Amino acid sequence: MALLQISEPGQSTAPHQHRYSAGIDLGTTNSLVASVRSGQAVILADINGEALLPSIVHYGTDRKLVGKAAQEMQLVDPLNSISSVKRLMGRGIEDVKQLGDVMPYIFITDKTSNVPRIQTATGNISAIEVSAEILKTLALQAEQSLGDNLAGVVITVPAYFDDAQRQATRDAAKLANLNVFRLLNEPTAAAVAYGLDQKHDGVIAVYDLGGGTFDISILRMNKGVFEVLATGGDSALGGDDMDHAIGEWILAQANFQSVDARLSRQVLIAARAAKEKLTKQDRVQITIENDEQQWQGRIDRDQFDGLIQPLVKKTLMLCRRVLRDANLSKQDISEVVMVGGSTRVPLVNQMVAEFFQRDLMSELDPDRVVAIGAAIQADVLAGNKPDSEMLLLDVLPLSLGIETMGGLSEKIISRNTPIPVTRAQEFTTYKDGQTSMSIHVVQGERELISDCRSLARFELSGFPPMTAGAARIKVSYQVDADGLMSVRAEEKKSGVAADIVVKPSYGLSDREIEKMLRDSMDYARDDISARMLIEQQVEAKRVIEAIDAALASDGDSLLSKPEFRKIKQARDKLQKEIQTACADKLKKSIRAMEKVSETYVARRMNASVKQALTGKQINQVKI
Amino acid sequence: MQILDLKQSYFELFGLDLTFEIDLKRLSSAQQRLQAVYHPDRFVNASEQDKRLSVQQASWINEAFETLSKPVKRARYMLELSGLELNDESETTSDTTFLMEQIALREEIEECRTNADPLGCCDHIMDKLRSKADQFGSEFIANFDQGQLDDARISSRKMQFIQRILEQLIDFQLELEEG
Repeated sequence: MALLQISEPGQSTAPHQHRYSAGIDLGTTNSLVASVRSGQAVILADINGEALLPSIVHYGTDRKLVGKAAQEMQLVDPLNSISSVKRLMGRGIEDVKQLGDVMPYIFITDKTSNVPRIQTATGNISAIEVSAEILKTLALQAEQSLGDNLAGVVITVPAYFDDAQRQATRDAAKLANLNVFRLLNEPTAAAVAYGLDQKHDGVIAVYDLGGGTFDISILRMNKGVFEVLATGGDSALGGDDMDHAIGEWILAQANFQSVDARLSRQVLIAARAAKEKLTKQDRVQITIENDEQQWQGRIDRDQFDGLIQPLVKKTLMLCRRVLRDANLSKQDISEVVMVGGSTRVPLVNQMVAEFFQRDLMSELDPDRVVAIGAAIQADVLAGNKPDSEMLLLDVLPLSLGIETMGGLSEKIISRNTPIPVTRAQEFTTYKDGQTSMSIHVVQGERELISDCRSLARFELSGFPPMTAGAARIKVSYQVDADGLMSVRAEEKKSGVAADIVVKPSYGLSDREIEKMLRDSMDYARDDISARMLIEQQVEAKRVIEAIDAALASDGDSLLSKPEFRKIKQARDKLQKEIQTACADKLKKSIRAMEKVSETYVARRMNASVKQALTGKQINQVKI
Repeated sequence: MQILDLKQSYFELFGLDLTFEIDLKRLSSAQQRLQAVYHPDRFVNASEQDKRLSVQQASWINEAFETLSKPVKRARYMLELSGLELNDESETTSDTTFLMEQIALREEIEECRTNADPLGCCDHIMDKLRSKADQFGSEFIANFDQGQLDDARISSRKMQFIQRILEQLIDFQLELEEG
């Protein structure tokens, strides 16, 4: 339909060089996507106008559902409706056991992989694959809304995520076929969204209590630079735990005969609803009802506060720690930014305000602020703002160490070291002719290896054989700007680089990822048809925009009334079909629309050429 | 992309004079100016090679910043620049008075546990430690300026001891506050 868009002489139709990008908040409970459009960061809603995508995927026997549709399946089919997988990212089966009944699914582990899988009707699924589905849906939603492909995305993660959790997030993006500019820490994203760098130079605290994670970060602002001074938190503490506290309270009150997966899901849903209502009301009625059993009760704000107070206290303890790490006192903090849906809970606000002894910043929607900040950074990283001074400087959230004799951890890079960072260590061989060695890397603050998180074992081999103690093996540990670690090793005398095999403790191996990518090709047909539909929808919107513009400028002068009406009818039909029709039907309607307006296009051409000839620059009449 | 001269000293990198008493604000703004040029976020759309180079150079800038911003590390780096080889593990102090003082300090911290006002007790020791740190810092400067590198090394060693006790005390305080 390019013929409709005739530019005025002197006006260029060259597409502007804007590269589309998006910020994605991949949350425990809900996920969002945002983008900068006409200089403004906005949340991109789906075709039904929904901004929040519930982070739930339903795996049926013949199809996958993501978001609200999957949420609706939770009660009917709880075991195949997978939610809160963010808590499983980069985690092993022992961690899953520790989560207890938080995850009412059937977990499968086999000897070939370190990653626990959830048994579903579609097959055994890892948390990474579930996250990939959510990412795909959001990316599609964004492309649909922007009308173009995404050059890249920024995905947010809790600042306190360790290497394995970050790697799992990266892997999910890879499975979703997304180009990731950067993993961005959620608190930093929130500070960016508030535009705090514009407003003042100073030190701020970002208190981020989400569905499943808690983060506290201390940032220093200075002329567009966001410098993280220290970060702390708990990657398994959040609103979900409040739901469970209420859930357990309900179970204790109700004293049910037996509790199956469905009932416990029902109790959790009721608990969450009660929590949400208690942010505005002083008391709520709770009803649990299924075929055999039922219970009705009431909970008031004071009871609720009593249940969650230990949880909030735990977050304040972490605030105290992080202040110490930053070598600051409460008085040094000039603003406290509140992020995450769980900061809607009145007790949280009250206790945090008391702790920092100041008013809190919470005017932006705590559910949206992270995605908005991510979109702003994505726009800068896409190269759309060459003059931007914005720079986000981050730190390593947890110390990196290696296992030494006796099961102790020797720190290589301590927490809150600015990243990227590289540290090197020298080892020697202890046996004649030794050509290989193994390094076990862990993350955490504790002395014993067993109290830290195991990240990976690196098998280094291919050193030239030498007498014991003669070789000088330099091992370099590098953490990049995403907080992801890599290891390189070389024997310094011979200059021979080691071959390295990485055995991640809780992540997918490269081979597993490859296999998943191949497997996803099998589903690619679904994806292709979804993509085709979106392309046609976008095309239809373009056609309508073009015809509207044309009709407005010369429709009355170039068309008879019946002609005008006919074109208008075709246009309205197409408009209606954007929401409802399948890709093929939409394509036909677009063609029909084009056919109806053929004569009109020809007349516009003639008129335009005439005008241009009476004017001057024919070479500027672009069609 | 621009390539940094990795042979220059950390002081030269940040445009600072080679002295222990540096202006931390200047250090931090110089660090930000450099990262604004070399940080990987500035190379998101660059070639793989430039991306790698950027990570390396940004890492080096961060390492330099870490070293100069921490007094103990800064002192030891100055000694290294002057040609001393420092080896953490084999280094001990034979200054028995100093050692006795360290043991006494650790005992004092433990005794706070049974004190009627444990946090006040900690604050008191904290003040003492801070003034010790200042004292050894000045000692280091004097020794270094007079070219007494071995004595300067001993001062830096003492600074390190104090720093460790300080960290222990802070951990202990947190433990008390958290009950």
